[in-house]
Amino acid sequence: MALFKDWMIRGVSAFILAVSLYSSALYSQVPTPQVPSTNPFPNYSNNGVVNPSNNRNQTPFTPSSFNPDLNRQQQQNRNIMLEVEQNQKLQETAMKEARADIEELRGAVRYALPTYSKFEGTQFYYEAFEKIILLDTTFSLKENNFLVENAFFDNKLDKAEFDKIITQSGDFIRAKMKEQGYDQNSNAAKNFMLFQFFSETLQLKSSNQKHLPFKYDFDDYRGVKNYAKMFVTKLLATKTGQCHSMPLLYLILADEIKAEAYLALSPNHSYIRFPDDKGKWYNIELTNGMLSTDSYISQSGYIKSEALQNKIYMENLTKKEMLSGLLTDLADGYIHKFGHDEFVKTVIDKALELSPNSIRANMIKANLDSARMDFVLRQIGNRPIEKYPQAIDMIEKVKSQYSFIDQLGYEDMPEEAYQEWLQSMNKENQKQKNEELTKQLKKALSNKKSTIKG
Amino acid sequence: MIRNYILAVLLFTIPLSVRAQNQEALFEKSLLTLNDMLVNENHYSFKKAVFSVENAYLNGKLDTVAANNQINVLTNLCKSLIDGRFLAYVESDKVDVNKWASVYQVMCDSIPIVIKDKEYKYIPFRYDFEDVFGNQELSNMFVSKLLTTRKGNCHSLPYLYKILCEELGTTANLALAPNHIYIKHQNKKNGWYNTELTSGIFPNDAWLMASGFIHVDAIKNGVYMKALNNKESIALVMMDLANAYQKAFPENDGSFLLACAEVSISAYPNFTTALILRAEMHKKIVEAEVDVEKSKVDFKKLEKEYANIHMLGYRYMPEEMYLNWLVSLKTEREKYENKKLTNFNKK
Repeated sequence: MALFKDWMIRGVSAFILAVSLYSSALYSQVPTPQVPSTNPFPNYSNNGVVNPSNNRNQTPFTPSSFNPDLNRQQQQNRNIMLEVEQNQKLQETAMKEARADIEELRGAVRYALPTYSKFEGTQFYYEAFEKIILLDTTFSLKENNFLVENAFFDNKLDKAEFDKIITQSGDFIRAKMKEQGYDQNSNAAKNFMLFQFFSETLQLKSSNQKHLPFKYDFDDYRGVKNYAKMFVTKLLATKTGQCHSMPLLYLILADEIKAEAYLALSPNHSYIRFPDDKGKWYNIELTNGMLSTDSYISQSGYIKSEALQNKIYMENLTKKEMLSGLLTDLADGYIHKFGHDEFVKTVIDKALELSPNSIRANMIKANLDSARMDFVLRQIGNRPIEKYPQAIDMIEKVKSQYSFIDQLGYEDMPEEAYQEWLQSMNKENQKQKNEELTKQLKKALSNKKSTIKG
Repeated sequence: MIRNYILAVLLFTIPLSVRAQNQEALFEKSLLTLNDMLVNENHYSFKKAVFSVENAYLNGKLDTVAANNQINVLTNLCKSLIDGRFLAYVESDKVDVNKWASVYQVMCDSIPIVIKDKEYKYIPFRYDFEDVFGNQELSNMFVSKLLTTRKGNCHSLPYLYKILCEELGTTANLALAPNHIYIKHQNKKNGWYNTELTSGIFPNDAWLMASGFIHVDAIKNGVYMKALNNKESIALVMMDLANAYQKAFPENDGSFLLACAEVSISAYPNFTTALILRAEMHKKIVEAEVDVEKSKVDFKKLEKEYANIHMLGYRYMPEEMYLNWLVSLKTEREKYENKKLTNFNKK
């Protein structure tokens, strides 16, 4: 079911980090997912199956010529005929049983998807999953997100290089804060600086270090052609990203400088929320470097009130929900590279355990369940489905999974509508709102500054 | 049960003047009827609930027989529409969808009717821009008034819609926006969608969110834009009763209003209209309190009540702004119309 294939938050462009470190052919060699050519109908020969035509010759038959007594002979004949009849009956039952056996053997439907574990590269995903689930006690977005992206590249990304960039960026932001005279403990100041780090050219007077802003990458922003377009490592390498990678990098850097900030979701989109020092909340739209209002987000036209009541959009994500999101990314990358199998189920079950209402995880589950249902129905073919209660159960479960997604208030946002909405932010009234909000935030900062000085 | 306790106290303590005695009794009867519907689901009838309030306000002069007859006529019109047309909708819930579409048509579309070879034109209900909040005359909000004048507002139109749906054996969910009531349905094809009877349009949720008076928290907490169940709808009617009582007896001591508010809140805990009424009644009590210490304690409690209402996301929407917003649906129809729905609902 390709129904939900293009819903995902995804991004753009070429992976230059990988290019510089490894061969550029790396990501273009992603194997195209292929359905393994296992034959669902085992080729059963006649071994062990009673062949009725052979059996007939074995019917015991005693010649009657050397029996003098006619009566006795007749009696015997009758007995023999009876015996023959009985034997024939036995044969028929045996045949019936044999036919039933054949039916049953043919009907041995497999209810689990065939695994891709023999494919090269899957082990990196299995390892990443184990690491995220078992080894993570601190919940580090930086570490876990790297695991997800690295698995896609068969663990060939340079971790030391990645760590270095993050540390340096954190140092840069702190240094700039100091230079600006901001309170080093103010959450508003930290986030304001982070926001500027993303949206403006910054230069450190002390070291002459210069930092250029990150830009939105319009090309293939859903990562349809090149999946890695949604990666943070791609964003760092090319300085261009989209609504998946940009907020994630923001939060990784926020952790680095110990700022409080959260990820929030809207249809096909994610953005940043943070509180200033008085508890007033701000939304940051990183794809165009502006502060946005709740009404801008809620008026996209694709947020239903049910979605808000079920808290699937416009809420700060908890650590559990973030982890669920990363597992969903992991599952998604695996599906993109290989396809649907039961490993996806393991990952997505865990993701749903952490965040039962997650739209993305629920959709992956819906797609996985439909893939499995298709697999089972293809095996059953045109035989009567009533004989396969497990398959009927599967169909019902797929239906209820889709209606659960509807119940959550999800509505598909078409790609054009999404782009149009994102662009609408550059319109005059939204720009004005952004300026007002920036002013407010700056005011909050200068208040803080003066109180510190005073 | 606290609800019954409140009612018992109420019935014995309200001083009845001779002049108003009958009308008071009608209000109390209505309150009991509504309360009974909340306690015993089998007794639920939205039509009965609405008419009991209107009858109390009209001091027993509501012509229930005539009103019921008119509703029967409309119901039959719906039924003939259902029988006589093909609906371009194939999902398993098409029986309900067909009923909703017919009620919508009867409320909003002009329909040609042939009686004895003569063609008549059925004129739908219209929006009445005068006195939309019933400030001058409360009965302008009434379904009975809508039935006789064929003009109504965001109170009587959705109420009648819900009544007709229930007469046809289906359901309709009322939903709230600031100063406003509209209809929500869920079908298999489109999920949840809105029906706006004041303009006969199916607006998307963005229209409501763009009103500028709905805080995101109010949506999250189900204060606004929630598909109300039948109990919550009775809570709405309960507030109509309180409002009617206040209009009929402006000098009342507040105990009837407080009882209405309490019962209403028990059925719909985040219903801000009832929460505000209760807070206002508590405020009166605090102001009348002579004991300084007790007054202080009560005042703290009152502050908490108002804080809770604010926290739920309620914000005041001025009346003038309401009309501008309502009109915006017609002027900016392109932007706010749910285009998926117009196809199968229009014949």
